Amino acid sequence: MTVPAAPQAEGMPSSSPASAVPAVRLREVTRDYRRQRTSMFTPAPVVRALRGVSLDIAQGQRFGIVGESGCGKSTLLRIIAGLDQPTTGSVEIDGTDISRLPERRLGFLRERLQLVFQDPMGSLDPRMKVRDIIAEPLVSQGKRDNLPRVLELLEAVGLQSEAADRYPHQFSGGQRQRISIARALAPDPRILVADEPVSALDVSVRAQVLNLLDELVERLSLTLIFVSHDLSVIRHVCDSVAVMTRGEVVEVGATEQIYQQAEHAYTRALIAAAPRLRTALAGRTAADLAADTLAAKESR
Amino acid sequence: MIGESGSGKSLTALSIMGLLAESLEPFGSVTVTGQDGRHTQVVGTAEGDLAAMRGRDVTMIFQEPMTALNPTMRVGAQVAEVMRIHRTVPDRHTAAARAVELLDKVGLPDPAEAAKAYPHQLSGGQRQRVVVAMALANDPALLICDEPTTALDVTVQALVLDLIVRGVEARNAGMLFITHDLAVVASVCERVLVMYGGRVVEAGDVQQVFTQPRHRYTRGLIGASDLDLTRPDGRLYTIQGSVPSAGALPHGCVFRNRCIHATVECESQPRWEGSGPEDGFACWHPVRVRDAQGVGGS
Repeated sequence: MTVPAAPQAEGMPSSSPASAVPAVRLREVTRDYRRQRTSMFTPAPVVRALRGVSLDIAQGQRFGIVGESGCGKSTLLRIIAGLDQPTTGSVEIDGTDISRLPERRLGFLRERLQLVFQDPMGSLDPRMKVRDIIAEPLVSQGKRDNLPRVLELLEAVGLQSEAADRYPHQFSGGQRQRISIARALAPDPRILVADEPVSALDVSVRAQVLNLLDELVERLSLTLIFVSHDLSVIRHVCDSVAVMTRGEVVEVGATEQIYQQAEHAYTRALIAAAPRLRTALAGRTAADLAADTLAAKESR
Repeated sequence: MIGESGSGKSLTALSIMGLLAESLEPFGSVTVTGQDGRHTQVVGTAEGDLAAMRGRDVTMIFQEPMTALNPTMRVGAQVAEVMRIHRTVPDRHTAAARAVELLDKVGLPDPAEAAKAYPHQLSGGQRQRVVVAMALANDPALLICDEPTTALDVTVQALVLDLIVRGVEARNAGMLFITHDLAVVASVCERVLVMYGGRVVEAGDVQQVFTQPRHRYTRGLIGASDLDLTRPDGRLYTIQGSVPSAGALPHGCVFRNRCIHATVECESQPRWEGSGPEDGFACWHPVRVRDAQGVGGS
């Protein structure tokens, strides 16, 4: 696969093109959802899914977002990908504010940013052949004769060219996730957003897919935004991480720094709660996990 | 019991409960011994006798608490029901009181009020606590946990694991814990069975199997699970290919089409090497101690 020139490189001072315009800049982003009304006489209750999130993700960074269910990480991702709009606040992708843009003006974003989802079966159309699935983002950009590009992408994600004429159900979970990755890479994006891409996979296949992502991000100099509930996966993949809980980012920093010395009680609880093979074999039981988690939650 | 999807973990659990689908015909034997010393031969026993065993001698915790609970019944009544069906309490009032007591033991705040809640009014972690209370209500001899914490958040998982282990220890019961997460096994289990393609490929003490695996699959699984251990190029260790579906397993050693050490020998089924079913492995080319690379290996 050819490595495209980074779009911001032209006309920028060569010394620090990366730091000039962040790939993603969020300022005070909030998102309110209205619940169903429970009474005719009172307004519908409002759920605040995001509460003033500000983040900068630099070009070429491998950025992790970690948090438990309901923390707002999926809402944040949808807003970054332009699939949802914030209630207040601004979202800039490569310097362009997308927070108030209508769908018809988001075409540039679909070229620049692509997504890989958790469930590869749910995100691949079962009635489409793999070649059409992978070419779909190109077709929507008005490109024709995409087969050479499809074959190139299949090779890049480690699938045989015969895969092009088969359907998603003919593949295993790990292979389907490779197809999703190939589709995401088709329009040559600069930013790859992965939402729990390995959570539904078997352990032996998870390592293959993580290695593939690692290799592609490096080879294509992509900016990676990787969402997971599993801090150990984030630690392996990402150089920076934001920890979210209850719609807020409570801690941002270098992954290793946070892993070693978390500032926030919630982050410490998250680290304490995750069982690890080495420490478990050294004698850390479920009782220790529970006690450490509770202690970390209550610490300040 | 560890293994990836399709390895036969859940079927093994269901066969102990006598819950295999009608289309499957089991052979071999499964003997369950209750806390009162009563034996049940599961294979070939009539449904009525199995129903008496289930929920009393053997109980089970499933992955998804919402589907394990009845959405139209208050949770207190569901916990009480298990005891009333097996007549382990004298009457309705005792059952209700004991249900509240159990909900308290599993750490639900304000158990008397929680007993009146419907499942949808509780969080995922709270629902799983209710399922744990149901599973422990009749003091079973064996508690089977099939991925009980996979659907839970990691901070909730730590608390629920602790709860399960304490409940089992307090009753001096046995526990069969099924998961694909090796770190969870190492935190809660003493012995481990490694399954692949419907067979047990290795068994032994957790410490021994995880630090000195003998089967090539076990070693591959440990390598691929360990995100702290990387190859010289910084990438993770992997097992090539993916788990074949049940109809597509190779004859002989079931792992041979993914194993880099496979030879012609592997086309015939490897013998079980070891002192018995509790400790051993079935592999033609086992990992030798000198090139062992379990946890803590270089």
